[in-house]
Amino acid sequence: MSFLSKQSVVDGFQKAKESKTKEWRDNLPTWCPGCGHFTGLHGLYEAAERLKIPPKDFVVVSGIGCSGRFPFFIKGFGLHGLHGRAIPIATGIKVASPELTVVVVGGDGDGVGIGGGHFPHAARSNFNLTYILLDNSIYGLTKGQVSPTSPMGMKSGTSPYGNIARPLNPTTLALAYGATFVARTFSRERDMVSELITKAIQHKGFSFVHDLSPCVVFNKDVTYNSLNDVTAKLPDEHDTLNRSNAMSMAESTDPVYQGLFFKEEIPSFDDHVKQVKDGLKH
Amino acid sequence: MRYSEITIRFCGIAGDGIVASGKILAGACANIGLHVMVNNIYSAEIRGMGKSSATIRFSTSKLYSMGDGLDLLVGMKGKESIIDLRDVKAGGNVIYDSSVIGDVEEEDSLVSHITPEIQGHGLPIQKLANEATGTNQGKNLVAIGAICYFYSLPPEMFVDQIKSVFVHKGDHVIDVNIKAFNLGYEYFKEHYPLNNQFEIDKTSEPRALTSGNDAIAKGALDCGLKFFAGYPITPATRIMEIAAKELPKLGGWTLQMEDEIAAIGAVLGAWFAGKRAMTATSGPGLSLMSEMINLSVMAEIPTVIVNVQRGGPSTGLPTKVEQGDLNIALYGGAGDSPRVVMAPSNSEECYSGIQLAFDIAEKYQTPVIFLSDLFLGQRTETVTIKENIDRDRCTRKKPTSEQLENFQRYQITDDGVSPQIVPGEPGAVYSTTGLEHSVTGNPNYEADVHSMMTAKRFRKFESMVSDLPEANILGDETAEIGIAGWGSTIGSILEGMELAKKQGIKTKLIKSIMIHPQHEDSFRKFFASCKKIIVPEMNYQGQYADLLKSRYGITPIEIHIPSVNPVSPLKIVQKIMEASSELSK
Repeated sequence: MSFLSKQSVVDGFQKAKESKTKEWRDNLPTWCPGCGHFTGLHGLYEAAERLKIPPKDFVVVSGIGCSGRFPFFIKGFGLHGLHGRAIPIATGIKVASPELTVVVVGGDGDGVGIGGGHFPHAARSNFNLTYILLDNSIYGLTKGQVSPTSPMGMKSGTSPYGNIARPLNPTTLALAYGATFVARTFSRERDMVSELITKAIQHKGFSFVHDLSPCVVFNKDVTYNSLNDVTAKLPDEHDTLNRSNAMSMAESTDPVYQGLFFKEEIPSFDDHVKQVKDGLKH
Repeated sequence: MRYSEITIRFCGIAGDGIVASGKILAGACANIGLHVMVNNIYSAEIRGMGKSSATIRFSTSKLYSMGDGLDLLVGMKGKESIIDLRDVKAGGNVIYDSSVIGDVEEEDSLVSHITPEIQGHGLPIQKLANEATGTNQGKNLVAIGAICYFYSLPPEMFVDQIKSVFVHKGDHVIDVNIKAFNLGYEYFKEHYPLNNQFEIDKTSEPRALTSGNDAIAKGALDCGLKFFAGYPITPATRIMEIAAKELPKLGGWTLQMEDEIAAIGAVLGAWFAGKRAMTATSGPGLSLMSEMINLSVMAEIPTVIVNVQRGGPSTGLPTKVEQGDLNIALYGGAGDSPRVVMAPSNSEECYSGIQLAFDIAEKYQTPVIFLSDLFLGQRTETVTIKENIDRDRCTRKKPTSEQLENFQRYQITDDGVSPQIVPGEPGAVYSTTGLEHSVTGNPNYEADVHSMMTAKRFRKFESMVSDLPEANILGDETAEIGIAGWGSTIGSILEGMELAKKQGIKTKLIKSIMIHPQHEDSFRKFFASCKKIIVPEMNYQGQYADLLKSRYGITPIEIHIPSVNPVSPLKIVQKIMEASSELSK
């Protein structure tokens, strides 16, 4: 994977400003050329366009980190909050105003490091939120330290002798926490990213997209090439209704599967609240 | 003897029905138009070692504190109540369980510790309870029956209370409890013929009872609370429980979150979406919320945080009172982080104050920390709350159509307040951030932008002062001794001032529900008119005194009481006397 020149990125975005998703485009992204996050952002533009989400009803909430800047690049309401705390903030927005489309965007450090305590509760409550975790297995904004998803042995500024802890697998966590929509994507696969983000937003309940999104500047271990070698699409016959089967497919490290692992239609948090409120009226 | 004011304490272990005793006695007294205040003291353990006591003070005139000393102590079986004997006034009374004498070692028996200046009255509490209920239950009602006779209170009021307290437990429980009450009443009638009379004004109207926590919850619901997120913590949980029950009926919702960070995060989210929201916590929770409070300051998202203070630091004393969280409320954030701090002094102010907290938070897009405390939050008292119900209340500054055209979420204005639009409303969209930002909300780290935005955030605190209530000055305006107090300590101060007045010493008090910002001129004028200034509070450091010293340049006499119990008015009057004798030198 070669680096893109800054000019090519700017040109690309000027062109994109004329595209069908222009209604949802705002400030130019500030990421490094080649960053995997561009694909996730593109996927969210595409999803907003396909679902015709009015910007006034579209809220993107992010944490801190490279992925945290998402809201500024999207036309809609945005809240770039605190490190690790995007999920609870988004929860408050969604429960207070259920008519809004609320998307949470965060990184691996944000979501399963500092904010790891919020993820299980949002999933088990089945809040009608979409959570996109852009996983680059590194702390990028602080210039390259190991993260909770970095592989064992990875050397970095804060792990000069190699990372001793084993990496977390956000996809299996989501399955274990009871998320009702669980997908994994790789930022090299633009169409799949766009499609699964769209489906995640359409899903009624807590939907999770684990996007493998390499950092081309600081992570020399988890790269486009290394992921290219190990990733594979889920087989066509994969049963998305079977959580334990999804779990074993998600655990696989060779290959690392991408696609929709699991989806179940059960009442969302909003449905339960409505039921309680309707019951109180009688 | 004739009484116009009585303080009674029930003392036992968890499970003796101590809290219910307080409830029944308080309810009956409030129903006959008396002023009542009840304070329950219990340990942090639910069962086992837990001592439990309920102190009920009732009077024909308004009560401000729990006062000093007991007229009557009721001790259940066990040694727990022995230590409370020291609180009984000279000439006071004790009711002890005469049916258990011999069951316990002499040194563990209440009756053997009763001193000559106290009058002991045996009552076979356990025996009569067994007779009435066939179980160990009902001991508290036996004692209440005796008390009812002892102070010649109307028994029919007690029967009504028993019915209402036990209504959810069914007719049988009500019947046996009434029987227990009657047995206690008759026993005292037979053995201790009437010589006491409580002065009751038969024309008095029944009074309403509430706690500070209840008043805060009700005030918030009445002014449009739509969302509550919290995490259970003593002594604030009751506020969340009320919200959980009532909000769905009003179209809102309550979320129990995974921790206090999530709770305040969700509250910020709801405010961002334009809904009135709140959380309630205590010291450990407020500590966790610090970073979110800073986000509220920086992103100018309103928020209301009730902090019911308990003893600290750390997990501290979960079931004891202290006013130790003023500093964290005022200063507990990184950077230049202004926030509104309010402290109600009674249940009435809990109700009206929390409504003001919402109006200020929403209008000035700022965090408001509402500092109650365990004593104020949990005590029950008779109150006259002026209801103010408007659930559509909104004080948000909305953009004009002109402002919408080129919308600037953080537009620089004279009063520091920028127009705010919320998700779902047409006209404009914006993103906000905890990063320093320009007028549009986009991240910006230029020196002049940071100076301009910091000044804007602080300017709001100048412009809001005109919306805030003036400080109250109570007592004798000509007094040379002035007292400045805050929170529930005000009640003890007021009673201390009354006691001083009886000694011929004039005092005055300045109190304000607003800790920050304040109407500073009123305070300056007040302090200038005093020769001695006393600042009593329930903490070791003198946190409020520090604020007043740095703000007004005064040198007060400070009373620091790192407290587990509400401040005794006698402690206040003692300092007043000292100040007075120094003045007369």
